[in-house]
Amino acid sequence: MDKERLQAEESLLARKFTPNVFRFFNRETPGTAYLRIGAKTNQGNVYTLHMDLSDFPVQQPKVFVTRMLKNKMGVDLDSPSASMHTLTSENGWTRICHYGTNSWTPNVSLYKVYVKCRLWLEMYETHLRTGKNIDYYLNHQH
Amino acid sequence: MTNAELNRMAEDVRDEGLNQGSSMKDLVFDPVTGDFRQVPRGSHRGDGDVVTEMTNKGFAAEDTTLEMVYLGEEDLINVRQKLLTEDKVKAFAEMIDNEVYHVHLTLKKARYSTDLIPVVFTKDERVAMSPVDEDMMCIVVRDEDADAFNLVKDQKRRRLKVDYIPSRENIFSRTKGILEVGALKNKRVLVIGLGSFGSQIAIELAKAGVGNFALMDFDRVELHNLSRHTATVRDLGRLKTNVIEEAILGKNPYASVDKFPVDINKDLELLYEEVGKADLVICATDNNTSRFNLSKALVEKEKVGIFGRAITRAEGGDVFRYRPGGPCYCCLIGEGNLQQEEITNVDSARRDGRIAAYVSPEDADAMVQVGLSSDIEPICNLMVKLSLVELSRGIESGISSLEQELVYDFYMWANRRERHYGNWKPMPEPGNLPTILRWYGVKTAKEDNCPICSGHVVLDEGEDLPATAMEDISIDLS
Repeated sequence: MDKERLQAEESLLARKFTPNVFRFFNRETPGTAYLRIGAKTNQGNVYTLHMDLSDFPVQQPKVFVTRMLKNKMGVDLDSPSASMHTLTSENGWTRICHYGTNSWTPNVSLYKVYVKCRLWLEMYETHLRTGKNIDYYLNHQH
Repeated sequence: MTNAELNRMAEDVRDEGLNQGSSMKDLVFDPVTGDFRQVPRGSHRGDGDVVTEMTNKGFAAEDTTLEMVYLGEEDLINVRQKLLTEDKVKAFAEMIDNEVYHVHLTLKKARYSTDLIPVVFTKDERVAMSPVDEDMMCIVVRDEDADAFNLVKDQKRRRLKVDYIPSRENIFSRTKGILEVGALKNKRVLVIGLGSFGSQIAIELAKAGVGNFALMDFDRVELHNLSRHTATVRDLGRLKTNVIEEAILGKNPYASVDKFPVDINKDLELLYEEVGKADLVICATDNNTSRFNLSKALVEKEKVGIFGRAITRAEGGDVFRYRPGGPCYCCLIGEGNLQQEEITNVDSARRDGRIAAYVSPEDADAMVQVGLSSDIEPICNLMVKLSLVELSRGIESGISSLEQELVYDFYMWANRRERHYGNWKPMPEPGNLPTILRWYGVKTAKEDNCPICSGHVVLDEGEDLPATAMEDISIDLS
């Protein structure tokens, strides 16, 4: 990610959040930058999202919740699942499937990705309450 | 019947045909029906223009004498030079199919056979007549030509017919009048992706006389490639860069080929360097990440790029041309041109995310829907034509007129009226609606806020979250 893009993303996030909610790491090292950003659901639960920016913005960022979430049955959300909108976990973190490759364009902001992940978290908590899979609420994109 | 007699007969048949104007046909375009129709030559009096003759020059029988020796004109010049001071010059000949020999002074990269025979060049005919202990070829060099003898152990010798592999200047002499010989020999084309598109395009450009290539692809030839690729069974497992280098040199032994078996998404520094060196870049990859990366490089280096792709089962496809200052590939995608692209390889589609990780192996296999080679040929063909127009821009040539035709940056083609093209009309009487097997040019506009080429960053912010979601959150960001 070039400097101008990073500044634009940072400035957009700064308009939306207070400074202690997000932080870019390794911003000077090409291919290793990542973003940590907090997300608070309507239920008041707080999650930390880790966005891997190594190929951003030409490719969608990998987004992880920085812990292993479990489904209603107590099973780890660690593997690819169409019904739960998850991909293969890394570092013991649940990975959210937010944008398909064919629907990604480089002008999509990290904030927009965040919004989609925030929606996923809301639906995850709804799943815990109702037992319905996440794709009952969130449609699939190409 | 001798070959000479056959040739004379062929000439007669051809001349007779050309003189029989009344029995020959012209094609006339009818603006009312939108179709071409046949009319007897000379009879047309209607509104449409005569577009072409149904037949033109006929055939002529070739002399098909076998046992040929092919000798490079440039090699022969070198040999003559050496024979000024030496009695003999040694070389070797590839024996191909037991009846054709290709003589080389040095081992070529592109060759067909490992079956080599020693060759001696000499000016002294007595050498050709002298006994030898092994299979050997002797070529007697005279001032105006050369004569080859195949010597065998029992001293029976045959005189072989010599033909010449043209020099660098003449190797594409058949294109004279279309593209002047040498017009493209100093041009450098970077081909990214050597699959069914890139392989054919690279070879076509070599045939048109492009003299310098850079080839990028990290893949190897696999079985599923064969039905649409220029590679053959004997190439299985080989790096595609090596296979296509060989094919290019097989068409033009004087071409220069640099090979980079790398993933361009992982080596952007190399990508930018090579884009900077190229006169034109062919983007024949199968994923948007590489297209976006290349698009950025083209914008930064101010180079022309030609992109092409097929959509599912090659039911159609499109071609995009980037010219510095014009709309870029990202501008095009921003206009809603995201398509379900053709998937030809599960592994690569999984690797770049076109098949989601959660799709089962059975479902992934079902998603592989490969079109026919003949379905992608027209798309490759337009990419080649656009490339030649761009490479020869400013050079007076037989294809200059195409500069007035190929003015669009985006072109669409449908092979079949399926899915994406399901609402297109049948070819007969399409009226004012699009139909199949025709190119449609589309004018695309530069996006003011394109993240790749606009020079400034305007982000897609999506929707705002409710104010409650913006409450202060305390997390550990150390």
